[in-house]
This record gives sequence, structure tokens and C-alpha cells, in this order.
Amino acid sequence: MSYYTEKIKRLKETYFSNTIQIDVAVNTKRYLDTHFDQDLKLDLLARLQLTSKYHLIRVFKKYYGITPRQYLISKRIEMAKKRLQAGSSVADTCYSVGFDSINSFSNLFKAKTGVPPSVYQRATFDKSKK
Amino acid sequence: MKIKIVSIPVRDQQKALDFYTNILGFIKKVDAPLGGGNRWLTLVSKYDQDGPELLLEPAPNHFEPSKVYQDALMAAGIPWTQFYVDDAQAEYERLSALGVEFSMKPTEMGTVVATVFNDTCGNNIQLVEER
Repeated sequence: MSYYTEKIKRLKETYFSNTIQIDVAVNTKRYLDTHFDQDLKLDLLARLQLTSKYHLIRVFKKYYGITPRQYLISKRIEMAKKRLQAGSSVADTCYSVGFDSINSFSNLFKAKTGVPPSVYQRATFDKSKK
Repeated sequence: MKIKIVSIPVRDQQKALDFYTNILGFIKKVDAPLGGGNRWLTLVSKYDQDGPELLLEPAPNHFEPSKVYQDALMAAGIPWTQFYVDDAQAEYERLSALGVEFSMKPTEMGTVVATVFNDTCGNNIQLVEER
């Protein structure tokens, strides 16, 4: 066994030993991956894992390094990029990935990618035409 | 500022190019001569061709400390870097069938499954699947 595999084994036994907590985090992430386009509430996410909202946020952040809310926003922006690239309009994209306000979608999109969705769409569309 | 290049030290750039494209499946993006047989050689992922480029740099052949550090990591089994895959077990099986040597079988650890192989160019590389 190498130095590295020894360290990984130790880490698994110490820091990653609570499989119940890990499953709460992983199951929540998987739920977000498949239901990102719906109106998701923390109450529902917590109920699905039979835990409290506060515990869920703590556990998710502990293992993924970001909160469920931050993860959901990243997921929605990632999906929005794909749909804009495929030619979907800004409004259609906004609602189809789960945002309910074009304004907040545009602001979040710009904050995460550096450009507003309309500019992103034009840039990728022009590129695909070349 | 943007992160555009991530570099990996390799002993033989041509051998590395063959391994990283033919076995791992990356695509060559830039290949420019730098004199003395050295090349500015970068790769991208097939699935993210506008994404960060992987620079295969011949540093260990020209800068002794780079060689020493690379050898030390290799001996300890520590990965130089890691790449993300959808299914670590499937990649482990695919690459093993192509003769790639693994020092760590797919291992579940928290929210990831990780596995480590030898890139035949002086490095251990870790593959990570996010669960």
C-alpha cells in the first residue's frame, strides 16, 4: 500500500465514516440534479431526507463545501448555458431551468459567467455558425 | 484573470501525447515548436473543448528539482492532478483493459469515488466521480 492509499484509507475511516450523513448530502444533491427545474423549498428537501432544514444545510455544506441553495443555482446556470447554446430564448431558458424571474436570472447569470444571458447566447450562436 | 492552463510534467512529450490522446481520449489543441525539440503542447477534453487546457511540459528534463519532486510524488503514490469522469468504475475497467496500471482501485470516499493510475510519463493521475 502506497503512502497515498494509506492516507486515503485513514481519511475514509476518520472524516468520511458517517455514511448516514454522507447519504443525506449525496441524496439531496441527486434530487437537486434531477429536480432543479422545479420550485424547490428547503422544507421539502429536509422532509425527503427525514431531517431538519438546519441539519440538512450543515451536512450538505460539510461534504460539498457549498450550501444546497448555492449548488442549485450553479446547476441551473450550467443547464441554462446548455439551453442558450442550443438556441433557446432567454425567457424560455429562464423558466425551463427553474427561475421564476427573468431579472434575477439575468443578474445571477451575469454574476456567474461574466456576461448577461442575451450576450452569452449571441456569442455562442455566432461561434456555432462559423 | 482566467484559469486557462493546467500543467503536467512529462519525461517524453511525444509519448505523453500518444497516451493522453489515444488512451485517455483528450484532443490536441496547440502544438508549437519551442526549440531544442521542446513543444508548447496542450490538450483539451473532448467534452469541454473551450475549457482549460492541459499543458504537457518537459520540465523534468530541464530542471532537476522538477524531476526530484515528480519522482517523490510517484514513489508515494500521490496524484499530480485529477480529472473528472461520470463513472469511475467504468473508466477503471476500460483503461485496465487497455493495459493502464492502477495503484488505487475505485474507492468511495464521502461524496466522491476516486481511483489512481500511472500515466507512463512519470505521474500518478486520479480520476474522480462525483456521487
